[in-house]
Amino acid sequence: MFLTRSEYDRGVNTFSPEGRLFQVEYAIEAIKLGSTAIGIRTLEGVILAVEKRITSPLLVADSIEKILEIDSHIGCAMSGLTADSRTMIEHARVEAQNHTFTYEEVIPVESVTQAVCDLALRFGEGAEGQESTMSRPFGVSLLIAGVDERGPQLYHTDPSGTFLHYEAKAIGAGSEGAQTELQEQFHRDMALADAEVLALKVLKQVMEEKLSNTNVQLAKVTEQSGYHIYSKEELQEVIARM
Amino acid sequence: MSSLLSHEIGYSAPIEVHNHGFSPYVNNEGTSLGICGEDFVLVASDTRQSNGGYSINARRSPKAFELSNRTVIATTGCAADAKQLVEDMEQRAQYYVHKHGREMSTPAMAQVLSQLLYTRRFFPYYVFPIFAGLDAKGKGAVYNYDAIGNIECVSHYAYGSAAALLQPFLDNQINKAHQRGADTTAKPSRAQAVKLAIDAFTSATERDIYTGDWLEIFIVDSEGVHKLTRELKHD
Repeated sequence: MFLTRSEYDRGVNTFSPEGRLFQVEYAIEAIKLGSTAIGIRTLEGVILAVEKRITSPLLVADSIEKILEIDSHIGCAMSGLTADSRTMIEHARVEAQNHTFTYEEVIPVESVTQAVCDLALRFGEGAEGQESTMSRPFGVSLLIAGVDERGPQLYHTDPSGTFLHYEAKAIGAGSEGAQTELQEQFHRDMALADAEVLALKVLKQVMEEKLSNTNVQLAKVTEQSGYHIYSKEELQEVIARM
Repeated sequence: MSSLLSHEIGYSAPIEVHNHGFSPYVNNEGTSLGICGEDFVLVASDTRQSNGGYSINARRSPKAFELSNRTVIATTGCAADAKQLVEDMEQRAQYYVHKHGREMSTPAMAQVLSQLLYTRRFFPYYVFPIFAGLDAKGKGAVYNYDAIGNIECVSHYAYGSAAALLQPFLDNQINKAHQRGADTTAKPSRAQAVKLAIDAFTSATERDIYTGDWLEIFIVDSEGVHKLTRELKHD
């Protein structure tokens, strides 16, 4: 499969004769190696859930951070290269703060997603007058969850700079199985509390280790309290309801 | 040296003073006001443009403008600077629609105006804007600024050559200043506000040579922006 691509998979800004950008496609492949992350949108708010791969008993589980705050009303779950996500989330945070500074209002969720996707395509040599920050595409995929005047929303971004609006989405190694499961179990008018349980149930099915309050992370974004990451105790309470 | 010489020959030729200083600012005078109602706002400006002397540049040079279907701006100061500032605001409003897929709210636009002024902190636009519009809940809001972007949300305000005449009049009529026992919480009705604006400008033209010719009134309500024009004294 990969042998046929050898001519055109080196330059990040060179199309293959079939019209493909292999480096971007490889970056999308990189995400399929990452840990699974799930986002579920309900009418009350959005749930984000990720698995943490505790590769060693000596590893401090709390040091793995895969759900991050972008602004008080927007959270983000990632899968893929963690280091790349730092750059993207930093960009998203700056964009959100700039918006608040300029307009004295919170940034719309779609606008912050668009800003991240603009950055995703800024790789390669860089055009005239435009500085390039990355030599290759970002190997990371994000689930951006937020609440604004259009209600709770969930967006998925990938290394090609494409973003899509989802009701429920899974990314990462277990995404195929998880997405199928979400399609079967998700319904539009489900309660936030049910979405919490569903997110963990789906994660549990695709995780290799046994699910516990140390190897998963859960967050919600609601109209009332904005972005909130679950403490160990809150997480345990959800696990008990599974 | 030359003056010493002219003294000696008993002839005083006019001494030409060459001023090479850069003076980029001109005050084109005129007056603007803004009044905030419960569910409407009003701004009004006369249209006379002067140069600070006895001559009139133009009798119909508007100082108040519609920025969007829910915001208006009234200016005083340098007309050229005001034109540039208003065009800048229009551009920012349009760009916001492209970028975020919705119209900019009134408080957002008020903040943008403040920042546009502050970006020129050390070579300011010589403009004193009154910005008004309806907020997301349909309530009126009037903001006044100084030339470098200090912002204040007020019930009414007057700027310009007759501001010293209009401000105490509006304080008395709208805020009921010095009226014992008056209801100070009541906001003016739309008809009252229009009447106050017309009366204020009619009186101002009697005492201020820089205010006159025509009065343009913009009223913003839930239906959009309405414009009224009234004739003022032309002398």
